[in-house]
Amino acid sequence: MADFWLEVADITQSAMDGLLYGSTYALIGIGFTLIFGVMRKVNIAFGAASLAGTYASLVAFQVLHAPAIVVFAVSVIASGVLGYVVYLTCFRFIAASNELGSLLATIGMLLFLDEVTVVSTQGMPMPYPVLFSDTMLFFGPFSLRSDLLLVFVASVVCTGILLAVIYRTRLGLATRVVSQQPVAALLCGISVPRTNATTFVLSGFLGGVAGSFIASSVGLLSPLLLIPVTLKGLVVTVIGGLGSIPGAIVAGLLVGLLENVFLYFRGVTERDIYVMLLLFIFLAVRPRGLLGRLHA
Amino acid sequence: MLVIENIVTAYGKIEALRGVSMEAQEGRITCLLGPNGAGKTTLMYTVAGILHARRGSVRLQGQELVGKPSSEIVRRGLALVPENRLTFPEVSVRENLIAGAYLRLTRDKAGVAEDLERQLVRFPRLRERINQDAGTLSGGEQQMLAVARALMARPRILLMDEPSLGLAPLVVEEIFRTIHELNAEGVTVLLVEQNAHMALQIAHHFYLLEQGRITFSGVPGALQEDEVIHRAYLGGSGASSH
Ligand SMILES: Nc1ncnc2c1ncn2[C@@H]1O[C@H](COP(=O)(O)OP(=O)(O)OP(=O)(O)O)[C@@H](O)[C@H]1O
Ligand SMILES: [Mg+2]
Repeated sequence: MADFWLEVADITQSAMDGLLYGSTYALIGIGFTLIFGVMRKVNIAFGAASLAGTYASLVAFQVLHAPAIVVFAVSVIASGVLGYVVYLTCFRFIAASNELGSLLATIGMLLFLDEVTVVSTQGMPMPYPVLFSDTMLFFGPFSLRSDLLLVFVASVVCTGILLAVIYRTRLGLATRVVSQQPVAALLCGISVPRTNATTFVLSGFLGGVAGSFIASSVGLLSPLLLIPVTLKGLVVTVIGGLGSIPGAIVAGLLVGLLENVFLYFRGVTERDIYVMLLLFIFLAVRPRGLLGRLHA
Repeated sequence: MLVIENIVTAYGKIEALRGVSMEAQEGRITCLLGPNGAGKTTLMYTVAGILHARRGSVRLQGQELVGKPSSEIVRRGLALVPENRLTFPEVSVRENLIAGAYLRLTRDKAGVAEDLERQLVRFPRLRERINQDAGTLSGGEQQMLAVARALMARPRILLMDEPSLGLAPLVVEEIFRTIHELNAEGVTVLLVEQNAHMALQIAHHFYLLEQGRITFSGVPGALQEDEVIHRAYLGGSGASSH
């Protein structure tokens, strides 16, 4: 009996850790979702551009020996810039009707950015500075890693800022209406290309936050992060419901939680298999995701 | 006020407008009639900067509009209520209206709030639905919203593309009454209609567009009116006879 309760406590502990870490997946998912929401197109290169921006911040760390907060800021800005580059190369000059063209271009961009990071680091994992101090906080039978807790809090703050931008500002109004009715948006005097570009930069900022948090939680930045981050971003976007920001938040936390429970039962090698299965289950059983609209 | 000269607009190789010239005079209601496929919407989109003319010129108070981006055209005082209304379905009525004033949202908060109130006085039904998503409105309410959104840009000239399309007779009357009121307030109106009977009751001047060309122009009440109405509905003998 005692064993059983110990097990329950362990699972709960895993689930909590996963939930906290899942906030970074929520950020990545929101990034995918923003772009999908405004352009109705998938940007597969989003995770790659975000991690490449985080890699760029290593320059501040290794060469300039800047403090962790500066490294973090560089990651955010560099990812925003790369978001714009992805927009220019994969969307701006490819006709809106050429959906396959843009999709293939973003796949190319993913491989390109991956290649560039691998070549410039010789594929070696790079140490990443600690953003939040790593101590254990104890609550009864449970403990929490303070850095994960702070990542969670910071992700919530970033999400809040983003929601405020989307729902409370002129720019946010533009991003929402451009996707719903581009011609009418033009008739209101809104520039559609500029709005799209801004959305890529905004989502890039979020990606840079997420990349930096992920690298700091792991302690390392490695090209091996690319595939999990990209896949989880896509899984979160689909489970949340394509185009739904609240959906991406809930799904990010859920995927983080389930992933850690899978990890607990099946180990690190099998973990992502089950995460991928979630994707297929949702696509088959509930294609509009948790909070997506029916037509999306 | 608005002078359109020899406009040619094409979709690929097909010229939908084949040298259109017409004029909307300041303070007047000018009506553009024409059968389905004549090119009325193409002309409206060309003037508003959504479609790009191959040739020709559009001048608003002497300033050339061809080649200007749509935002610049809005800024100069031209607003279009597009065919099929094109309201933003998943944002609230309030935000639809705010979007109409997009270009001066940051500079002129007080003015925007004032204009918003003015539209809600003009269309009380919009006030009742102010926080509802526009997609949940009836067709007539959406048309009012589309008109109100265009007015939020404070246009000097208002273009309207078939505002009566698909609406019940009572609602159509309301829309036409609004057009008349707006004009009385000093807004120049260029109205595209297939509902020629209604349109000619309020128009000061009208044009007939057939197969991408202006084939008739005149004032309501003139002798040829019956034939014009007939051709506007049915696309009768068409451009060939002119
Ligand atoms: N996107 C498009 N691509 C190709 N041809 C088009 C396109 N839009 C319109 N056309 C063609 O251009 C011509 C003019 O169309 P337009 O929509 O301007 O007519 P309209 O007078 O507004 O008709 P309606 O009364 O039905 O609204 C038509 O022959 C139409 O088939
Ligand atoms: Mg039309």
